[in-house]
Amino acid sequence: MDTISEKLNEELACKTVFTIPIGNGIAVNEATVVTWIIMAVLILFCFLMTRGLKTRNISKRQAFIEWVYEKLTGMVGGMVGEEGHSYVPYLTTVLLYIGVANLVGIFGFKSPTKDLNVTAGLALMSIVLVQAAGIKHKGVKKWAHSFAEPVAVVAPIKVLELITRPLSLCMRLFGNVLGAFVIMKLIEAVVPVGLPSVFSLYFDFFDGLLQAYVFVFLTSLYISEAIE
Amino acid sequence: MGLLALGAGIAVLTAIGAGIGIGVATGKAAEAIARQPEAEGKINKTLILGCALAEATAIYGFVIALLIIIMLK
Repeated sequence: MDTISEKLNEELACKTVFTIPIGNGIAVNEATVVTWIIMAVLILFCFLMTRGLKTRNISKRQAFIEWVYEKLTGMVGGMVGEEGHSYVPYLTTVLLYIGVANLVGIFGFKSPTKDLNVTAGLALMSIVLVQAAGIKHKGVKKWAHSFAEPVAVVAPIKVLELITRPLSLCMRLFGNVLGAFVIMKLIEAVVPVGLPSVFSLYFDFFDGLLQAYVFVFLTSLYISEAIE
Repeated sequence: MGLLALGAGIAVLTAIGAGIGIGVATGKAAEAIARQPEAEGKINKTLILGCALAEATAIYGFVIALLIIIMLK
């Protein structure tokens, strides 16, 4: 029991990899470094795949990347609706990032979404985007008035939603990733060979991608609600 | 440690609600697919979203149980 608790503590702690020597020193966390690695891989992938694109006689590579692009933006665009199509690139980026971040644990990295700070940051970005979209599409006056719709009595609840929505987004992603991780560790402790790979298929692949989907789905739901 | 473990165990009881919720949702989805097999794609999409939302309550309980064990130790 003690060893498992210690192991969990170790996994939960945000370790500092190195310190940037500016001022008092800026600590760089493990999650930040893994995020940089994910960024580098995604940017390199995009750069390699989008070189030398043509309009006629397209190569197999271009056909593949166009298919991926169409599928992803089609999926996200269907969620956010016709009016919110300008938010599709951001939402697709978040989908790709969370998806890769949940899967990166398989390659021995520490998944960034297992760090509460990362999911809190993503949730904050989401709620700021939702409110900004509301202000942009409705104007400040109508946006402020939307808190008192349909009746003025619900205003306190609507204001409370500003806090509970990002909180639940953040906790859902963090809890799911951490929960899957803890269960996998427990299974590995009981049966080290064979069985973990079967469960990993569900907990790492399916659940990781599902949570990325759910995060983006809820964000786009809030956006389409804010701009309607 | 004993009482802490008990508290964590009670927090995880939230999973009962999530289990019932997902069970009901899946049962209804099976009924809906049996009635209208051509709408399977849409039903599956809604079902997965609903399950993810219902599952979140269990996850909250899990997070709280974990916080109890780790933070209050």
